Amino acid sequence: MVESITTTAAPAPSGSRAAVATLKNTFQMQNWVLASLFFAACLVFPLLPFVEGWMVFQGAFIIIYIMAAQGVSILTGYTGLVTVGHGAFLAIGAYTAALLMKYTGLSVIPGMIAGGLVSALFGLALGLVFLRLAGAFMAIGTLGFAFFIGAIVNNVPIFEGRTGISLPPNTVFGFEIDDFGFYYVALVTLALTTLFVHSLIRSGVGRAFKALRDSDKAAESSGVNRLLYRTLAFSISAFITGVAGALNGLIVNYISAEVYGDIWYSVDLLVAAVVGGSAMLFGPFLGGFFVAMVPFYLEELADFAFILKGVALIAVLVLAPAGVAEVVARPVRAWRQRKLLEAGESPELADAPGPPTGGGS
Amino acid sequence: MLGQLIVSGLAAGSLYALTAVAVVVVFRNTRTINLAQGDFAMMGAFLALIFIKSLGLSYLFALGLSVVCIMALGVLTERLVMRPIADSGWLTLFTATLGVYYILHGVSGWLWGRDTKAFPVTFDPTPIHFLGTVVSEGHLINMAWVTAIGVLLYSFFRYTKQGIAMRAVTDDPETAQLMGIPVRFIVMLTWAMAGFLGAFAGILAAPIIYVAPEMMDEVLIKGYVAAVFGGLYSIPGAILGAILIGVAENLAGGYLGAHFKTAIAFVMIVILLAFRPQGLIGIQKRREV
Amino acid sequence: MTHLRCEGITVRFGGVMACDNVSIEVPEGKIVGLIGPNGAGKTTLFNVLSRFQEYESGHITYRDQNIDRKKPHEMIRLGMARTFQNLNLFGEQSTLDNILIGAHRHLGNPLANMFSLPGARRNEAALVDKALAVADMLHLNHQLDKPVKSLSYGWRKRVELARALAAEPEMILLDEPVAGCNDEAAAELEEIVRHVNRNLGVTMLLVEHDMSMVMKVCDYIYVINFGANLADGTPAEVRENADVIAAYLGEPTQ
Repeated sequence: MVESITTTAAPAPSGSRAAVATLKNTFQMQNWVLASLFFAACLVFPLLPFVEGWMVFQGAFIIIYIMAAQGVSILTGYTGLVTVGHGAFLAIGAYTAALLMKYTGLSVIPGMIAGGLVSALFGLALGLVFLRLAGAFMAIGTLGFAFFIGAIVNNVPIFEGRTGISLPPNTVFGFEIDDFGFYYVALVTLALTTLFVHSLIRSGVGRAFKALRDSDKAAESSGVNRLLYRTLAFSISAFITGVAGALNGLIVNYISAEVYGDIWYSVDLLVAAVVGGSAMLFGPFLGGFFVAMVPFYLEELADFAFILKGVALIAVLVLAPAGVAEVVARPVRAWRQRKLLEAGESPELADAPGPPTGGGS
Repeated sequence: MLGQLIVSGLAAGSLYALTAVAVVVVFRNTRTINLAQGDFAMMGAFLALIFIKSLGLSYLFALGLSVVCIMALGVLTERLVMRPIADSGWLTLFTATLGVYYILHGVSGWLWGRDTKAFPVTFDPTPIHFLGTVVSEGHLINMAWVTAIGVLLYSFFRYTKQGIAMRAVTDDPETAQLMGIPVRFIVMLTWAMAGFLGAFAGILAAPIIYVAPEMMDEVLIKGYVAAVFGGLYSIPGAILGAILIGVAENLAGGYLGAHFKTAIAFVMIVILLAFRPQGLIGIQKRREV
Repeated sequence: MTHLRCEGITVRFGGVMACDNVSIEVPEGKIVGLIGPNGAGKTTLFNVLSRFQEYESGHITYRDQNIDRKKPHEMIRLGMARTFQNLNLFGEQSTLDNILIGAHRHLGNPLANMFSLPGARRNEAALVDKALAVADMLHLNHQLDKPVKSLSYGWRKRVELARALAAEPEMILLDEPVAGCNDEAAAELEEIVRHVNRNLGVTMLLVEHDMSMVMKVCDYIYVINFGANLADGTPAEVRENADVIAAYLGEPTQ
């Protein structure tokens, strides 16, 4: 019977480890404060005097993009997989919510959840097929999936192709809501998804995701079931994007293949994730904002929107491959890292390894 | 009708083949999945259209000039976009080609508008009766072109110094470099080849489809799927895959209804990858992606 | 008692025979060495034993249980950990995070963990304690928050070993544990290996080129050449073996 390494009591936190722990908590508090300020600002935004209806509408739209990009980032940023066809989940979420609303009178919140769940199911199924493949094949497979979904919504009668489905007004708990109400629904949902992603990254499951991303062999030799965790990542990612998709359809009360029938959403989401930075919590915020706002400013010049997104994408890949969020956060990270090392460092012991200790003998 | 569907399938397949081969060649030499391949074709079609309509050039002259231009576009892509990130992981390379895809889409829309345009038809539209089926001259001409290009490619890889060098780079870039093969030049040549094949794909497809920025999007995805049939490494596999897709989708369209035409390629790829993840003609020694 | 045994393992890559009917046996609680000239097939065998590599014929048994069908991630549950020649560490992540993944087998239900249910949180705390204990044992306490890529090569080797130890394995496969280390780092790692074996009872199978380490540390040695068993015995026996000497001397100077 092997003697466990921890039969001796876990080492009491030495002075320096306690200091490091305290410092980490401080940094966490700082992050929480920043995030809360951001969300508070978003809450107040529609109430400000100069803000008009269309701005609130655009705000909700940005929120939707951010959420969808969060979905992508779980897969690409934290688990290291490719998805070029995530717009398919946007479409699945949208159509699920729309059809349920049209035929069963479901309201916004259940519609969102249903959209997310159906997307997750598709994600699960897709994952089982594609996740065993090498990355290049998976990229092509997911892109093919997006095309497939586009073909389905264009051609299968129930989805009403390009004529589209018009929806009754949105209701939440029985009350009809307008653009303002919708904005708040979207904002609360974003807060929830952000909390979830935050917690996920810090959890053991998040650790497993990151391990698979950085070295899947090492992860597997440590006991991480590659297929299981990849499928989990895929399903979660599909769920979040699906929820965003449901909101995307409900925000205009109209769904049509004209919007969901091609691959642009899919690649736009990839752009959002890459440009913003897919391995950081606020990366999708930047990326989603960028992708949502570009067509807004260049409305008349849709072609320049394309060119701008392409140039931004290439520029980020060449200059800052980890995304704009990483560049922005760099000075803060460097400073924090220095502080952590100072706290944990004990000069006399820093370079003297000596024989191993503990565990009997 | 069966014969007609098969011939249309072969014709469509030959166009997908051009895209598929380009995808395979670029991938196995540079580990890059070129998402912009479809837009190389699209630009080729647009340029040819401009040359014919605005400059009054003959079809063949316009074709040739357009091919040269798109080959240059391929080389330009390699130098400006791919070279700075040449050492990055394949996902970065792939995403960069996505950037090129966006740019080309925007540029063509800006220069030439997003409305669909017709490409002058240079062949006789009256159907030909051949072996009991009805065939369009356009189909036959396209297949003839693609066959000619196929022979050209084969000779290139088999008999020319550059072609042999390229095969060496595909098999083992480090050793090839140590043996004095100019790998950078070969990479440039690879992208020029992608431009060459792309331009042909676009111009041959143009009379059949319309000309517009999104014209080649569907062909692109089918080209990928066909390339996957060859494990992303084998040219014969990709060509076989392309023909299979062309024929299958025409048969599906004819017997099952138009709805199924586009979906069939995806269904085929799912079935293939579920049972043979390395492609129909898998290659034993393949670089880990 | 035999901890790990393989018999008749054959692996072919295209036309090349990487493993040719190889058989080895690792007794419980011992340190067994696997040596042989470069390209002899040692790492392939390692990958076979840790189930990362398929083989054409042969069997592997772990404590009398046939493990031919096992997947790589299932090995840790049986009690087998491994390290990698090329140090598959998570460069950008901190030392602590690298070690923590080693303890993954104790994670419990992924869904509970994801939603931070109370039971899962207790579990997490226990995991962190385990990782800290291992770090303490290997004197990594002061490197815990540094990104692993910033550590020197010797320290990184240590982290790799810590990760394997965090799983509380019964057996570790060590793939060139001191390769590329200077004498000092090699001596320290050697000491750690001995300590873990003697005081924690962990069985070890190691691949190494550093002959002095192998001779000092191993209880038994297998010599592989051209993918096949060449000789085996105690260090003293192997050192005197004519075939082994010929195999090594026949090699171009390294």
